[in-house]
Amino acid sequence: MERESPVLLTERLSKSYGPHPVLVDVGFTLRAGTIAVVSGANGTGKSTLLRCIAGLVPFEGTASVSGAPAGSLEARRTVGYLPQTVSLPENVTVGEVLSFFAKLRGADGLCILPEGFLPADERPVGVLSGGQRQRVALAIALLGFPKLLLLDEPVANLDELGREGFWETLRGVAEVGAAALVASPMPGDLAGVADRAIVLDEGRIVFDGPMDGDHALVRLRARGTEPDPREARA
Amino acid sequence: MSRLVAVAGWELKGAIRSRWVLGTAGVFAAVTLAVTLLGLGSLRELGLSGVGPASAGLVNLGVLLPPLMGLLLGAGSLAGARERGLLAMMAAQPVPRWTLIVGVFLGLVGALWLTVAIGFGLAALVLAGVADVGDLAPLGALVVSTLAVSTAGLALGIAISAFAAGRTQAVALAVALWFLFALGMDLALAGLGPAVHLGPKGLLAAVLLNPLEAARILAMLAAEPSGTALGPFGAYVTGAFGVGGAAALLAGAIALWIAAPLALARWAFPRRAL
Repeated sequence: MERESPVLLTERLSKSYGPHPVLVDVGFTLRAGTIAVVSGANGTGKSTLLRCIAGLVPFEGTASVSGAPAGSLEARRTVGYLPQTVSLPENVTVGEVLSFFAKLRGADGLCILPEGFLPADERPVGVLSGGQRQRVALAIALLGFPKLLLLDEPVANLDELGREGFWETLRGVAEVGAAALVASPMPGDLAGVADRAIVLDEGRIVFDGPMDGDHALVRLRARGTEPDPREARA
Repeated sequence: MSRLVAVAGWELKGAIRSRWVLGTAGVFAAVTLAVTLLGLGSLRELGLSGVGPASAGLVNLGVLLPPLMGLLLGAGSLAGARERGLLAMMAAQPVPRWTLIVGVFLGLVGALWLTVAIGFGLAALVLAGVADVGDLAPLGALVVSTLAVSTAGLALGIAISAFAAGRTQAVALAVALWFLFALGMDLALAGLGPAVHLGPKGLLAAVLLNPLEAARILAMLAAEPSGTALGPFGAYVTGAFGVGGAAALLAGAIALWIAAPLALARWAFPRRAL
């Protein structure tokens, strides 16, 4: 039987800002139903990697989403992207924001997040807390059931209940075939959620393997991206 | 098409609700009203009637303030959205780049024209009592020239915004460009013109290279088709191209000042990190 083609494929993906390389020959594939956490210390290229795949940054090498070049209109039809920081306009309501992005996606605006996750439609964005705004941004990324989710620190600012609700939703969309690439400097947050860990160090992949139990976390700690609780206790 | 309408509507709504546009509309309306009343006052002191000095004041106001408003509005658009992360979210959607640029442009054109309409609407109310039928065409041409040059300012602002590193840089560049068009080119021409023997053709080229000047000449040609108010230059352009030809040439130059910056912004979009 022919193997299912990957949702995401990158080959020798490199990006420099001036003389400073940010990503160097990054290559990996992501298949449907997989949740991968991209981790590494601050400044190792996690956000840039997601931005390259979303088609927001020119780069060298190859990246394709469902067979289409990253950034092409065809690829963007299948990608849901959440930037690390987004400041939504304060003078519009939650409903107006979601309706606008649903029109851009050609989606029906149906929200798959748990009930109560989002603030009420009629609330102006300007009165929302940081966590509530993050929830709205997450809802935008999930509009139209994208095949590939690129999420840059998605649970930053979220409370415990919000995190649980979001991870549960992410597991749900993966079960029905979506793939997700989640950038996080704290991969431990994704223990039990992610299937796979990709660790970047100075723009290069230094670990790419299953996120099974402590195995990946040990590697991540070795790279200094996840604090070791034993050290913390000491 | 529906995505273009969505982007334009989003920008228009955001611009109208922002305090900046409301404040600008208020300032422009107040200045327009003041210029109109001062112009009419000077007529009455001389025992004359009509709208001449008032409309002359409005021509100068119309080619100076609205382009600056357009430049600033455009400069803040893409650069501001980029800084907030909003442009990345919009650009990641399945929307052609042209649709985003043109949608932003159309939405902001709506907000800008509304601002100009409020200002000129107040002036029209004041002038309605003294204007006669013969004044309608020049006043109409003044409004059209103002809308056109403000649109050119907006397109230039969007182009600056597409290239700039941030909103502050974009706004600074927009103000610098406005000074160049409003004062710098005139000063350079006054200083260098006689020395380099610019001549009428050189002067025409300088006018076409300055959208503010092109709009001012266009409005003045409409007010006085003989071109005498423009002196020897007016005599040259009306003699060489006819009034209609000269107006078409100036309108074409302003149209190019709208289209070229938008094309430049589109070119810059995929080459610039969002």
